[in-house]
Amino acid sequence: MKLKKGFVVREVCAQKVIVAEGLEAVDFGKLLSLNDSAAFVWQLAEKQGDFTVESLASAFCKEYETDEKTAQNDVKELLEKWQKLGVIE
Amino acid sequence: MKTTEYYKVAEHVFSVSAESFFDNYKPFLTEKVSKPLFSLEIFNESFSANFTEEISQEEEGQRIVCGHTEEGKSVFEFWLENKKAGVLISQSDFQNNVLYVEKGFEKFSTDNALMIVFALSTASKSTLLFHSSVIAYGGKGYMFLGKSGTGKSTHSRLWLQNVLGARLLNDDNPVVRIFSEEIKVFGSPWSGKTNCYKNEELPLGGIVLLSQAKYNKISELKGIQAYAALIPSISGKRWDKVLADNLHKSETVIIEKIKMWHLECLPDNNAAILCKNTISCN
Repeated sequence: MKLKKGFVVREVCAQKVIVAEGLEAVDFGKLLSLNDSAAFVWQLAEKQGDFTVESLASAFCKEYETDEKTAQNDVKELLEKWQKLGVIE
Repeated sequence: MKTTEYYKVAEHVFSVSAESFFDNYKPFLTEKVSKPLFSLEIFNESFSANFTEEISQEEEGQRIVCGHTEEGKSVFEFWLENKKAGVLISQSDFQNNVLYVEKGFEKFSTDNALMIVFALSTASKSTLLFHSSVIAYGGKGYMFLGKSGTGKSTHSRLWLQNVLGARLLNDDNPVVRIFSEEIKVFGSPWSGKTNCYKNEELPLGGIVLLSQAKYNKISELKGIQAYAALIPSISGKRWDKVLADNLHKSETVIIEKIKMWHLECLPDNNAAILCKNTISCN
């Protein structure tokens, strides 16, 4: 999977939000707020470019104290949400 | 014969060279300066620009096609009801700009070109061109935001009819400028269909996002919700990273310092009274 182009992370009142600023996403018309761990997953996804649930979960475990299985479930849930919102493809 | 006039909007001076000028700019006339923020030269002739399209945005029968030429100049083509109205060609820093106007679309093209160049060249100077209707009341300016057709102008009318001392400052495109000590809202030469071109400034007292409802209810907007209300109401090419960064900076200052509300409302007197009682007491 990949992050769609045109989305940037902004900080608003100490919270991270995904804003559609690029040409590719001007019609998105929504903001997506992220908690710290979701923002970290977004960062990992940006870094990896082409990613999977497993690749993100394993990178996530290196930073957060959680077991691989829980991380996989959490990441999977998050990516399903992002897929529905149309910010990943 | 072409002459040059200088205008001051929100304390930014720009120049326009043209054969004729429009009345909505008159209140903003100012003395010549050696270095205006930007200049626009207008040619009353047809022109076909050779450019690569980046995006086309349409609203209420108006279309703006944005792109760039091979040499990196920005191009904006204006269309009104499927007729070409003009082409704006700007250097990448928007200091020098040229507008070619089709016959019959002189004011439409001039207003659009100046709004675009103004918004893009002042974004780095803590200045924002809003899509909003603004009421002056009690020595402060209150801005109403909302999608086209929500009833911003209607809500302003309801203030004028129901609130003693309320005046209209601008009905469509006010300018907000952030100064170190305060945030001000300014009238502008652009006010949509309403003839209201006031060269006046007021401290910004509050911002109200309007949405249509079957009842009247007002609640405070904070943080991300306030930010989300601002973004679609501010002009700018957000796909230009530098511009987007500048807009974002100004937007975060506004949500920190200015009170914002969400008014779900009917187009009735009570909506204006509820709004006034809530926001002018804060």
